[in-house]
Amino acid sequence: MKEFSIIGKPTPNVDGPAKVTGEAQYTIDMTLPHMLYGKLLRSPYPHARILSIDTSEAEKLPGVKAVITGKDTPGGKWGLWRRFRELSDQQALATDKVRFIGDPVAAVAATTEEIAEKALDLIEVDYEPLPAVFDPIEAIKDDAPMVHEDFPSNINATRHIEWGDVDDAFAKADYIREDRFVLEAAHPCAMEVHNSLASYDKGTGRLTVWTSTGSPYFVQLNLAEALKMREGDIRVIKPHVGGHFGGKNSTMPDAVNAAILSMKTGRPVKIVFNRDEEFTTTEHRTAQHMALKLGLKKNGEIVAFEVKAMTNGGAYTGLGATTLYLTGTFITMPYKIPNYRYDGVRTYTNIVWGTSIRGFGAVPGKYCSETQLDRAAKDLGVDPLEIRRLNAVAPGYTAPGQYTFESCGIQPCIEKMVVRVKEKWPTIEKDEGIGYCGFAYMSGGIFNWIDTPYAYSSAHIKVNWDGTVDLYSQAADVGQGHNTVAAMICAEELGIGIEDIRLHMGDTAHAYTDLGAWGSRETLMNGNAIKDAASQVKQKLIDIARLKLGENIAYDLVARNKRIFLELRPERGLSYYDLVKDAIRQNDGVPLTGTGHYTPHNKGMISPAYGMGIMAIKAKVDRGTGHVTARDVLVVHDSGQIINPLGARGQVEGSIHMGLGYGLCEEMPMDQGMLLNPEFVDYKILRTRDMPEIEILEVPTYEPNGPFGAKEAAEATIAPAAPALANAVYQACGAEFFSNVLKPEKVLKAIRAREAKNNAASQAKE
Amino acid sequence: MKQQLNIVVNGEPHELFIEPKTLLVQVLREHLGLTGTHQACDSSSCAACTVVVDGMAVKSCSILALQVNGREITTVEGLAQEKSLHPIQQAFIDNWAFQCGFCTSGQIMATKALLDENPDPTREEIQAQLDGHLCRCTGYNMINEAVRDAAKRLKARKDLESQKWLQTAKSGKGAK
Amino acid sequence: MPNYRCPMCRKICATHLDLARHYLGQTDKKHKEWLKTQGLSYAALIKAQVTEFGNNGYEALAKVLQKEATVIDEI
Ligand code: FES
Ligand code: FES
Ligand SMILES: [Zn+2]
Repeated sequence: MKEFSIIGKPTPNVDGPAKVTGEAQYTIDMTLPHMLYGKLLRSPYPHARILSIDTSEAEKLPGVKAVITGKDTPGGKWGLWRRFRELSDQQALATDKVRFIGDPVAAVAATTEEIAEKALDLIEVDYEPLPAVFDPIEAIKDDAPMVHEDFPSNINATRHIEWGDVDDAFAKADYIREDRFVLEAAHPCAMEVHNSLASYDKGTGRLTVWTSTGSPYFVQLNLAEALKMREGDIRVIKPHVGGHFGGKNSTMPDAVNAAILSMKTGRPVKIVFNRDEEFTTTEHRTAQHMALKLGLKKNGEIVAFEVKAMTNGGAYTGLGATTLYLTGTFITMPYKIPNYRYDGVRTYTNIVWGTSIRGFGAVPGKYCSETQLDRAAKDLGVDPLEIRRLNAVAPGYTAPGQYTFESCGIQPCIEKMVVRVKEKWPTIEKDEGIGYCGFAYMSGGIFNWIDTPYAYSSAHIKVNWDGTVDLYSQAADVGQGHNTVAAMICAEELGIGIEDIRLHMGDTAHAYTDLGAWGSRETLMNGNAIKDAASQVKQKLIDIARLKLGENIAYDLVARNKRIFLELRPERGLSYYDLVKDAIRQNDGVPLTGTGHYTPHNKGMISPAYGMGIMAIKAKVDRGTGHVTARDVLVVHDSGQIINPLGARGQVEGSIHMGLGYGLCEEMPMDQGMLLNPEFVDYKILRTRDMPEIEILEVPTYEPNGPFGAKEAAEATIAPAAPALANAVYQACGAEFFSNVLKPEKVLKAIRAREAKNNAASQAKE
Repeated sequence: MKQQLNIVVNGEPHELFIEPKTLLVQVLREHLGLTGTHQACDSSSCAACTVVVDGMAVKSCSILALQVNGREITTVEGLAQEKSLHPIQQAFIDNWAFQCGFCTSGQIMATKALLDENPDPTREEIQAQLDGHLCRCTGYNMINEAVRDAAKRLKARKDLESQKWLQTAKSGKGAK
Repeated sequence: MPNYRCPMCRKICATHLDLARHYLGQTDKKHKEWLKTQGLSYAALIKAQVTEFGNNGYEALAKVLQKEATVIDEI
């Protein structure tokens, strides 16, 4: 494998000094002179017609500068499924009716947050409550209340995937099992809430918005639609972002209403959600019902697989329709499935909507498929690791019409797991079990429902007289460490140091488009764009070096250690810094520039590359209390060429944290559309004491579509955590689960059910 | 009625007039512009807002500013010395102990209070001290490792200092 | 070989089952309305497709399309 100077070396976060000293500025930390504070009045009803709104008392309150309702907004609708215009269903403030508890109906801008809040109390809204629907099974009925007109039976999106001859294969299968599951919703819980600061310049008609987002580009185009402005007249800046996890792809009412209020008042306006609003009105991981039918040969080989999913979409679309699609895709990975059918429907309901939360599509689906696989393995007497090895795909595998794995380390990963697990856990205690789960996830999506006319990612670099590099891109570091990866890729390609690179990221006015941080796309897609830009500059330097050195044209020149030299005769070379000066002199004083871009072509429907691997969790069950403890985690992981081992480890650790939360404690119980746990006191995320230690073994492959062979590391390892945990409990005590949150009472019930089953079986024998 | 508040923050004395109901976090973030201290909840349940008051880790969202009248407060902005970062900060960077960084100032300040008390904590002791500190990014293990690394660095620094002191004492010049 | 042409957007498919898949993948009003004229309900077809194993929703529509959407040698 190629030698790198920077790639693959543990590299501290380039934003580190700012983040550990408190210097790093998040949107929530920003103020502007003359700034006003905005607040949103939200619906207390899950579904109601708005009869009238009286804002006159609120307007009279001293300090209130503007009060707006739906009729005062430009009225543009927006969404992320712009290819299907009718799915652009979000709006700044409800006009005709409200669709969930928390749907905004009015907005206030005032000189202090307190005054703005008081003003909300003075707004009178007359509602006519309408019958509401909260569950997909209810929502799809013929006579169900309609959340959106024109969507009969609340069908928001459907998805069908099919290859092979499923019915024929089932007819020939040795073993078939069907299982039905209910998956709970979960909240992304980014520590920085949604918030935005908007400043409209009346003189020029231009708008600037700072916002806590994963995609400044999405916000820019959604604002243009919402405000009926030109995209180019809107500048979106992403400061440091305090967490994303998929909940910050959609443009939310904070950004849009801050903008409208700023247009009305001529002053900057900032809207910050409180934690309650964050839980009750921002996007979450979709709850869903799933049914799975699996057909196997006696030895455990998969011959047919069929999946049906009904998701509780909520009031709007977001990226939820994409999630529906990907649920049907990731559930097949990383296994050879010769005959497959998937049908999914996403229903509109009167709750806050679900979307693309970390590992989107993979998390609920894999929970079902991998726990089902364990039950099937047990029935057939096949070892759970063996059934995964037997069905694992090989490099070059193609799911017809869907996806191809070019680099693919799943088999070596499983082989390594077989060996390591024996060494690591030679014996297990009573009531302990080891559960497995295979996994794979995309490195950025190929689908373009957002309908961008731009390259999926682009980057621009400028090399200055002193050799320093300015790197510009809209790519978003949301905490995952992309800034560090970007600087590393740029520095490696130019053969210089990270300290030579200055980043200008996430600003729509100063950089070319990148679609943002979702679907683990930045390393591969933005990385390719950066490498492209840097290689253009490198080529210019190499050309000059070649001239000056006067060497045989057949000799290869490389850029490394701040020099450009003959690969085979390293002593013959020139300083990078001197060459830059020559190049600028030769270029009539213009700094060196490169503009790189990347859009995948001919790579199937999903992604150019997939991270993958296998996870094992050792868990202990307390048969008396039903309490489950995740004791130890082992991951064997193919993430291609790792760019930054520190960052990659951080992504895996963080994914497992969220994945275990999905399996152990995170849930969003609702009563008639009202969330019952909208605070961290009641919504439990795992704490430091709950976290087991995690061993990660990398089995690197070289991914031909990624920069320097890299692929995703951010999301693949979230999906396997909960199913591996449930499988560990299954191995420990035979308890079976058809839903993801292993709360003690549920575990106890499952243990009792297992005991009853065992008793019945032994009695039958007698 | 506004009341007078005298506090020393990061070594600098401040005299302010504030509404009695003002929280310490508001004084820090809004009055003094120290936005390194973050707020991530409204229910005193995330510890992102932790600062050190007279050596103790305190949630600045859960205490009135007037309750710390006359006290000394250290925030994340007050840890680094002139050009170099504090060993805890450096350990957080070197161990990738943060991602988005939003919970980080709270984690760092709680670590400061912990290591001042207990210079060599175990994994379990660190978990006990940092248990209320929610982090959605890291999964905590890398924070735990950073804290242990910071403890080692602080010990090394202390050893070096006492060595130096011993040398100066031996050479007869004496400490000033 | 007959082909099948969507009565609403004129998309051509090789089999009536494929055309049914295309048809139910469309979210616009036009496509949904025509089903009514055939005595079918969009919601009922989707429901059959996603709540039961098999291709029941598509097959029900395909039967109608076989009669209503056959075209001879158009491509
Ligand atoms: S802000 Fe959450 S505890 Fe202080
Ligand atoms: S680093 Fe993001 S919440 Fe802790
Ligand atoms: Zn059609």
